[in-house]
This record gives sequence, structure tokens and C-alpha cells, in this order.
Amino acid sequence: MKGPVHIIGASAIGPQEVFDRDGLEAVTVHDGHPMKAIEPDLIRYIDPVRGRRMAKVAKYGISNALNAMERAGVKDPQAIIVGTGLGCMESTERFFGPLFQNDEQLLNPTAFIQSTHNNVAGQIALRTGCTGYNYTYLHRGASFTSALLDGAMQVGLEGAERVLVGGCDVVTSDYYLIQRRSGLWKQHQVRNVDVLQDGTPGALCGEGSAFFVLDPGQDHRGSVRLVDVDMSFNGEVHEVAHHIQERLERSSFDPQEVDLVMLGYSGDAASDGTYDPVRALFPNATVACFKPLCGEYYTANAWGTWLTWSALVSGRLPQEIILGGPARDRFQRAVLYDHYLQRDHSLVLLERP
Amino acid sequence: MGSSPHTGPIVVSGTGMVTALGAGVPANLEALLKERTGIAPLRFLETRHRGSLPAGEVPYNNEELAALARPGEVRGWTRTALMGLLAVREALQGSGLDPKGPRTGFISATTAGGIASTEPIYHRFFEDDITDKELQYLGTHDPGEHAERIAQELGCRSIVTTISTACSSSANAIMLGSRLIRHGLLDAAIVGGTDALCKYTVNGFNSLMILDPEPCRPFDASRRGLNLGEAGAFLVLEPMERARARGATVLGVVSGFANTNDAYHATASSPQGDGALLAMQRALDMAGVAPGEVDHINVHGTGTENNDLSEGHALRRLFGTEVPQFSSTKSFTGHTLGAAGAVEAIYSLLAIQEQVMFANLRFTEPLPETGLIPIVATKKTEGLRHVLSNSFGFGGNNTSLLISAP
Repeated sequence: MKGPVHIIGASAIGPQEVFDRDGLEAVTVHDGHPMKAIEPDLIRYIDPVRGRRMAKVAKYGISNALNAMERAGVKDPQAIIVGTGLGCMESTERFFGPLFQNDEQLLNPTAFIQSTHNNVAGQIALRTGCTGYNYTYLHRGASFTSALLDGAMQVGLEGAERVLVGGCDVVTSDYYLIQRRSGLWKQHQVRNVDVLQDGTPGALCGEGSAFFVLDPGQDHRGSVRLVDVDMSFNGEVHEVAHHIQERLERSSFDPQEVDLVMLGYSGDAASDGTYDPVRALFPNATVACFKPLCGEYYTANAWGTWLTWSALVSGRLPQEIILGGPARDRFQRAVLYDHYLQRDHSLVLLERP
Repeated sequence: MGSSPHTGPIVVSGTGMVTALGAGVPANLEALLKERTGIAPLRFLETRHRGSLPAGEVPYNNEELAALARPGEVRGWTRTALMGLLAVREALQGSGLDPKGPRTGFISATTAGGIASTEPIYHRFFEDDITDKELQYLGTHDPGEHAERIAQELGCRSIVTTISTACSSSANAIMLGSRLIRHGLLDAAIVGGTDALCKYTVNGFNSLMILDPEPCRPFDASRRGLNLGEAGAFLVLEPMERARARGATVLGVVSGFANTNDAYHATASSPQGDGALLAMQRALDMAGVAPGEVDHINVHGTGTENNDLSEGHALRRLFGTEVPQFSSTKSFTGHTLGAAGAVEAIYSLLAIQEQVMFANLRFTEPLPETGLIPIVATKKTEGLRHVLSNSFGFGGNNTSLLISAP
């Protein structure tokens, strides 16, 4: 990137208690799945009466966006970029009900309006009065990565400031069943903290949201430099490590100096093996994973990015997700690598300024 | 982040489309020249509104589309994905681009994803005795599914993504592809969108009471709403020097683009067209083209009360009394939602190549508020260099593209 890009504020909601915090203090154990987000008190951001009619994905997305801005001390974002794999499917399913049952009659437009997938980004624009760039990516496991890459281009290459970038997905009752039938989810219940030892195909279904404010400046308490974002499609498993090595070289990111590697292990015995050779690239790093905390979903890597940011800012990582390497109370350079079903691959490089 | 940026023009080296006017860019051009509208009573979509709401339906059923698009693996192709693949194949053939290139991106756009193919059997996904034929569409209605499928079919390896920003979606795909190439993150990009008509959108728009029961009349005082349409439309983008070096035909230049937000209302455009004005202004600024140099505008022009008034005000504010000759080709295709931006970008390229301006069908009387009169009959012209193409959508999303002669 031409100019530096920093995360100057971040906010997350998910199956762990993290909203409006720098880090995760104690891991919440879920006995099974879908792992639902722990809904914090959002009264600062969402009027409770209106909130009852809002889809969860909008409530979480808007609250995270406003909270991330507040934490960054930013009032007027120049751009809003959202990634969401399922988008407003919750409202789509709400419109489906009467559509199919009432033979296309007596339909209320509210659910249809709310099901327009750029509804969350549009609502954030309304709330912040932002008339600038407003994009929404809906591409399965690449949704958040697309948004982050776009935001990094805006700030690093196009001179933008205060760019809001986020990922959000809320599991819907229908899509959970559809994806379970597709074989994505474990058919049995297993504790989230034990999922990596489960050894069967399928992951635990999760949900959540994480938003970031990107800016060229670094004078914030929670500033972390976003060094690179990379996304690719359908990479051969045996080429992944080589591809990551090339990206590190281009960013002058020495693997020896990486002290945190955050990987997308989900407990899916069919695809977790992709992470093993990546682990081996970083001999001095503490190795950790994030999906046992948030579950698997299209934009889980947004949550993973939040957890990596939080480790760099706070120096803390819960013991339950550390897979190997030395124990540390301070991290300087981090690599996040994730894939969704070995199709959508994402790489995020972060360092303390 | 990227390699070295491309400072030269980003050009279009291939186009492909399927709309109510037919499969292929030549079929579309012929219909536009002959003023033959694609808006007609529904023939394929199963809906109770079949007799009452005309639409711009692609004139093929799914089997016929599959025969035209020739997917390698036949299972699970939704109507949306088939229309997309058909358009992509034509664009690639024209351009000669290898989609497997390590720095070739694929950026699609849609609003409804594969819903057209899942809604007729939706309840079956939750029943134990689902048949194998039904099972092929399991999990195909999320917006990214069609793009993942097409990218897999083509063997894409680099950046693959999908944008869903309502009616500006595929204009935004063109914009993103141009930015990724400009910054050196990609060498080429296949960009566009696809959206199939479905009960879901027909009823959604109908519940908003913005569908005209007659063929739509964009920018007419008597307009009563839009007609929905369906389409797949894709373009191949690459730097000018790259296209020339490999001997590809340069169809036109993406010389300016901008995306803004009204921040006004979830579905309605701001009354004075603030976001639209800002998008048009920024697209022109980026290209270094003055308003007076714009030769033609392919307006968003849905035919709704709100859009045409708001867009008309924005045109007046930007161009004053000298509004360039404009038309809404949605009077031919209907509003193809996520595909509309790419469809109309291709029509803008055709206008430049053929030196022709297409009709805004069924116009009789201007809006009293703006007095704007669109092009009423398709006509030949000369010296056509810069065409502005507008796409505005729900969520206050506004995109303008400036397409220029090479």
C-alpha cells in the first residue's frame, strides 16, 4: 500500500462477551450449536421499540459500527463497507412465509425492504449522515475479506480517512437447516471448547459481527497497522503455504518475527488439515484459533480479525484457544489465515505501530 | 498491497448479455435499433400476477438457457447462474481473455441470487422425502452462490466476489473491477451482474406499489411505476495497453465512476437528487470531463414517481438548461435490478460504437417539475464520445459511470 492503513477502533458482538471491550476476559462455553450471539445492552444505539422490529443482523451491525466509531473518536465516516454472507436473509425468510402461505396476497412491504441486502450499510449511512461510498459484499466466505480489501484500498491507495468496514452474519432458522442438510454442520452436539478434538466432518454453526474504523493515522490507543489483505479463490491445498510465503515477502513481513498466528480451525475434520502447513511457516509464533469461540459462518474471519486486533492491543489471549508456541503477554506482529470450505481464502497481516 | 498501479485507461475488451431483448449483444442491438421492446406478459414465471403485471422476461426457459450456456456440471444451476454464465461466455469469447489467469478477477452482482430456482420448491428443503432433482438447488439462493459456481466453472483463482447494493449492484461491480486494475491488484476483471425474475421480487415491488400494470413510461408525466426485468450482463475490463498488446478489440473506456449515498431514506431517493448529483459530478471530475462534454446519458429512469423526479432534478442541477440527450432503456428491458448497471453500460458502449442513441419508449409528456424530454425515437448521431450511465438503488445507493470512446 502507498500510505499506511490503521485500525483505529473496533467493536464486536458474538457468542462471547466482547462488546465495547478491548479483549475477551473469560470464554463462554456453549454446549452445542448453533452458537448464538450474546446480545449486549444496545440501548445506546438502538431504540428499544424500533429494535423489536429490526432484524438482528441490522441491530448488531449498526451497534458495532457506531461503537467502533465511538471507540475511535470518529463521528463522520467517509465510507461504509459491509461484508455479509447471508445478508438480510432473516428478513427474506420473514417475507417468504406470507408469500408462500397467502398465495402472494396481503403482503407487508416492511420485510421486503429490510431484506434488501444493503439494508445494514444503508441504515448506517442514515445514522451517520454519510453520503460517501457505500458498498455491501455478499460472497459467502469472501464477504468480509472483500470489504476489508476495499477499505484498505480506500485508505492506503485512494487517500480516504475514517472508513468503516465490517462483517456481520446472523444464523437464520431456515439457513441453519439448509446448511446442515448440505453437511456443513456437525450432526451431533459438542462443546465449543472441545470441537477441535471432535474429529468428525462439519463445523459448529456460529454468528456474529465485527466492525473496524480504518484510517491513515495511528495516534489512537487501539491503533494497529493493517499491513496487507489478500483474498483468493479455490487455491490448491498444497499451494496455500507457498502463496502465503509470497505475500509475506512482498510485505517485508519476516515469518521469523511473527509472534501470533491466528488460524481458522473449525473442528471440521474434512478441511482443517489446510491449516497445518501454514502453522509450520512461523517457528516463533504463538499459534491460536478463533472459531471455537465464534463458530463457523460466512464472515467469521471478521470476528477473527477482531480477536487478533484485541491480542495486539491488549496482549491477552484466552488459554482455551492457544494451540502451541510460547506463552506471551505482548504481541507485535500477527498473521490471520482463514478459509471457508477451502474455497474462499483470506490472509490479514497486522502489526503494532 | 498491489503491484505497480496502471495509470493508463481501463478499457472494455468484451461484452456479453442476455435480456428480454434476447441472448447476445447483437440481438440486443438489433431490438434497440428496431425499437422492439422486451416488455410483455410473463410466460415462464409461475405467479398469480402473470396476467396483470408485464415484465422484461428473458425469452428462454431454464432448459433452453442451459443449452445455450453449456455448464460443465449440469446439476444445481439456478436461472440466475445460467443467465450469468451465458453472458460471461460471450464476453470472454469476444475478448479472448483467459479467466484462469492468476491475476484475473471475477466480480458479480445480484439482488435476489438464486431465489428464482429455489422458491418453487422452498418447503421441500425441510422435508425428509426431498427428491434428488429438488436437492440440487439446496443452498443456492444466497447471493454469492451463483458467482462461486460461475467462477468454479471458469477456473478463476484470484479475487472472486459479489456485490449486492440493490439496483446499483452491477454498476458497482464495474467500478470495483476498474479500481482493482487501476491499483495493480488485478490485470483483468470479468465484471457484471445477473438477476432472475422471481415471485419474491415481483411481490416485494408489488407490495411497495411501484409496479406499473402497463408497460412503463420513464420520465413521462403519466408514469405509474416500473416493470421488472431479468438479465445477465458481463464485461471484460483490462488496461488499454494490455488489451492492445494481446490484439483484443477495445470497445470503450471506463473513464469515470463514483458511488455515493443519499443518507435520506431506506427506499426513496432524496427529493432533489442529492446523492445522484454527487455521483454524476464525481464521475465527471474523475474523468476530467466537463458537464458540457457529456454527449448522452443512459438514465436510471425506472418510471417510478420518485426516481424520475429525483433524477430529473439532479440532471437539472448538474446540467442546467443544457441537459444532454438522454433515454431510459428500461423501457425495453424492464428494470433488471442487480444486472441493470452492466446491461446499461453495455448499451452505452453500443451507443458509442454504433453512433446511435436509443429511444426512451412510450414517452408523451414531460414532468411539469423538470420539463425534461428524453429521446423519443432511436436515432443515428455523430461525434458521440462520452456517455454517462446512472444506476441508483434502495438504501440510497447511487452510482454513475462515464463510458467514453477509445
